[in-house]
Parts: sequence; C-alpha cells; structure tokens
Amino acid sequence: MEILVCIKQVPDDSVEIFLNENTQKPDLEKVTPVVNAFDTYALEMAVRLKEAAGGEVTVLSVGDDSVKNSLKNCMAVGADHAYLCKLDDYNETDTFTIAQSLKESKEEIEKQTGKTFDIIFCGKESTDFASAQVGPVLAEMMDIPVITGIVDIEEKDGGVETRQETEEGYHVISCQGLCLVTVNKPKYDPRYPTIKSKMAARKKAIDELDTAKAGVTVLHTEKVYTPAKRSAGVKIQAESAEEAVAQAMDLMKKAKVF
Amino acid sequence: MKLTNVKDYMVYVELADGAPVNASLEILTRVSRLAPKSGEQVTAVIIGQNVSEGAQTAIAAGADKVICVEKEISQLEEYVQILTAIGKKYQPRVFFFPATQMGKDLVPVLSYKFDTASITDVTDIVEKAEGFDYVCSSYNGNILNEISYEAGFPQIVSVKSSSFKKELDSSRTGEIISEDIPVDRSLIKTELKETVKEIAEAVNLEEAQVVVAGGRGMGSKENFELVKELADVCKGVVGATRPAIESEWISRAHQVGQSGKTVAPKLYIACGISGATQHISGMSGSGYIVAINKDEDAPIFDIADVGIVGDAVKVIPLLIEAIKKEKAQ
Repeated sequence: MEILVCIKQVPDDSVEIFLNENTQKPDLEKVTPVVNAFDTYALEMAVRLKEAAGGEVTVLSVGDDSVKNSLKNCMAVGADHAYLCKLDDYNETDTFTIAQSLKESKEEIEKQTGKTFDIIFCGKESTDFASAQVGPVLAEMMDIPVITGIVDIEEKDGGVETRQETEEGYHVISCQGLCLVTVNKPKYDPRYPTIKSKMAARKKAIDELDTAKAGVTVLHTEKVYTPAKRSAGVKIQAESAEEAVAQAMDLMKKAKVF
Repeated sequence: MKLTNVKDYMVYVELADGAPVNASLEILTRVSRLAPKSGEQVTAVIIGQNVSEGAQTAIAAGADKVICVEKEISQLEEYVQILTAIGKKYQPRVFFFPATQMGKDLVPVLSYKFDTASITDVTDIVEKAEGFDYVCSSYNGNILNEISYEAGFPQIVSVKSSSFKKELDSSRTGEIISEDIPVDRSLIKTELKETVKEIAEAVNLEEAQVVVAGGRGMGSKENFELVKELADVCKGVVGATRPAIESEWISRAHQVGQSGKTVAPKLYIACGISGATQHISGMSGSGYIVAINKDEDAPIFDIADVGIVGDAVKVIPLLIEAIKKEKAQ
C-alpha cells in the first residue's frame, strides 16, 4: 500500500501558550516546534498499516525550512520518504490554501516518483487552531471520500476497513479505492525513535516542492484577545480535612449552592 | 457554487436518539433573538425518522420554519448531499451547525461545496452593523479570535455546545415544510458496516445542574468511585479530565474540556484536578466552582469560588457526609 501522511508542525502543546499583548500574536518564543499530536497518531497508524500490508509511507508538510526537522523526526519513526511544500507563514494560512497546496504536492510527488497513493492520512485536528478542516476539505477537493476520527485501520479485500470513534462507541466503515482518513487518539502510543533510526533519518533527503498554491479566503481576523478570567474565591488551607470541609460547607451554604 | 440571493438563518438540528441535540436548540434560541432586528427568519433543518416531535422542539427553541427530511440515513456523504440541496434551494445567509462530530465533519465539506469558508467551534456571535462576527478559540482556549466574513455566502459555522442558553417556549408556532430529497447512492464510496454501542449509559453532562468531576489526583480507579458517590449525593453528573479517561477510570462520554464536552452547570466540583487550560476551557462558564486539590499552587484555585487544599481522597468522604447532613435538614 502506498500511503501519504500529511503533517503539520505546531508549537509544543504541552506548553501553555498565551497572547503577547504587545505583538497581538501568540507568544511562541521558547516554545519548541513539534509534529502535531494527532499527526503523530496518524503516522504511527500508517506505519503499522505498512508493516501489515507492505508498501511505503511518505510524509508531506506545508511550511518553512524549520519544518524539515519535524519531517526528519517522522522518518525516524517509520516514514520512508519526506516532502516539504515550501510556504512561509504557514501557521497563519487558511484551510483552503493548505489543502490546495497538499493536493498539488500529492500530484507532483506522484508525477516525480511514478507511484500512486492508495490512501491519505491526516490528524483529526491540529493542537493549535483545532479547526479540524484540512482533512475533509482536502478530500472534497480531490473528490474522494473521507472517514474522520478513526482509531484503527486494516487492509481488507483490497480496500481498508476502519474503526471510527463515536460518542457512544464506534462505526466500522470500509472503503474500496482511494480515500482520506483523519486519525483520533488510538489505544496505542506512537513509537519512539532509536539512536539508530535517528541517525538513518538524518542522512535521508527531504525533497522540496514549490507547489504551494494560494486559495481564496473570505475570512478576516478582526480581533485577537485573551478570554476574561474568573476571579479566584477563597482558598482554604486548614489544619485538618474536617476543618477544611466545615469551612467550605459554610461558604457553599452562604452561596446557596444546594 | 456561491450563493448570491441569500436570506434568513438556517440551523441544522441534529438528532441523537430521536431528540434534537442541545447545541442546535441553543443556537436556535440565540439566533431567534438576532433575526428580527435584521428582518430575517430562522429556519431549522431536521433529517431523520419520525421528526415531527423534534420539529416542535425546534419551534419552541426559536425556529420560525422547520424543513423536515424524513429519511433514515447514517453516512456523512448522505448528509452532505441532502444539506447541499437544501442550501441551494433555500439560500441561507448563515448556515449554523452544532459543533458535534457530525457538525464538524459537515462544515468544512459544505464550505468547499458552496465556495465560501467555515469557522469551527464558535463560542460567541457578535452583532455588527451588517451581519455577524464569530468568536472561536485557539491554543486550548487561551486565545480568542473574532473573525468576520469579507464576502461570500452562506457563512457556515459550527457552534460549541453550552455557548448559549436554550429556552423552550411551547406556545411558539411555526411552519413545517416537508422536503423529499433523493440521495444518489451511486456517489457514495464508503460503506458503514456496523454501528457498535460501547457506552450504554446516557451521560447528559451539558444539561446537568451539578457536575462532579475527577482528575489525575484521584490516583486510582477505586478512588475515582468517590467522585461518583459525591455526584450521587449532589444529584449531579460525573465529569472527568483527559488523564482520568486515558487511565480508563471512566468512559470517555464523561470527558469535560477542549477535547470533550463544554459544560456550564450551576455547581461544578473539581476533585483532584489541577486545572490545565484544556480542562478549564470546558467548565469555566460554571456558576459556582468548588475545587479540591493537594497542590496549593494548582491553577484550578485561580478560578474556584471555594478551594480546599487537601487530598481529595480524604476530603471527599467528609464532604459527602456534610452534604448528606445538609440535605437531610
């Protein structure tokens, strides 16, 4: 199976990011760029599918030179090839431009290598803007079906069978022919690179593509601001738990919460 | 396919077990307040089987008209076909969706079909001289973005649950329109082979008056039982943070936060929850917040009305007894 995994480089989501009131932009200084968490799940799932069904995994991202590091990291955990569609300010770019650039890049990779992809993986959403739009829009642009929020996939009867997480359980959805899946957190964690795989990845080339293509966006950000914070109430630090609960009960009774 | 002759606001009313989801009703109530000023009407769209009761609820929540499509469908591609046809026929100025899993899948696909753009997880609608701006968040809710459309209709947005209050007025009246829209099965390339229900309990966090939630600080599945007991005593619903769910102390239907449900109960009791933004952004609209945590510097105390610094495992049993006593009086 020829698998394409689209990844986005985002600021590390384990760090709290706030607005810099002077620049009116998110304060990203000192925040390490990482591969979007849901994209790491997508890559792990794709690599497991490759290990079971054969073929190769190609990763693709849209971004500036800094994204090469993320792509190298992907090659250290199972991706065979990596491509970067060059675009500065990728983080502020609209959904349609990103999706259009991914589509053009996919076609260019197919032209250059002579292979055709059987399936495209994306993360369910990014951890920075979390709009969950690029995957479905890319599928729609390519006129192929999309299965969102999957937590498992296997090759079956020449196509794929997926498990899509729902509020109450899951759907089993199958598809024959090219499709796009977006990946939610599966039961397993992405593998860690080894020293050997890191060394090997470092030696591999990242092919640059000039396939970025601006889409037309009609959206305009009028204002960026920090949400109003609730003010803190009373913090009880009593000698004993009994005393703390008694104080808390007094306050709650006064506030008539029961 | 841009729409040029637009009017009215359309709200997709998603059904869950035959009843409209809260997020859709909340949008209807909010939009019904905005519509008269601009001379627009509010149209609800319902797709499913036996939709008449749901249509009445939509009218009670604020719909002037309800378009009913009596059809049993289950796949995204089928919904896209029907909603594209309805959008084309009725030409809404704004097409609102609940930010449910289905809503969030529909919005980007429809925005491409209508050659416009979409906004996900809207939490507020700002009235402007002409039309609206929409507020959504980034970076786990730490930053808010107010976004406008420079051109293009329909505006297509999904709205997060609990962003607005729903109000049902059963004396309201409205028009019901039946639409029969065929689905071209030959265009559908995926097959839904099985629907499996793993979570049997109905967890209605969004409508709960009281939510008692537990986090990593509960320490174990056994200790998490205390959270459930406290919820029972308070006649509340159990909530949980992502770490508690990933530890499999409780099913994911209970998750509160950025990747779970957004809640705004009258009383929220946070047990062993440190207060990561990812969680706080899903519950900071609560009326009264009580927090119990060992770490006196936990960020949850910055937003709690009452904070108890202490081990939740020791504090909760005492709190249960105290509340029982209080309620018995």
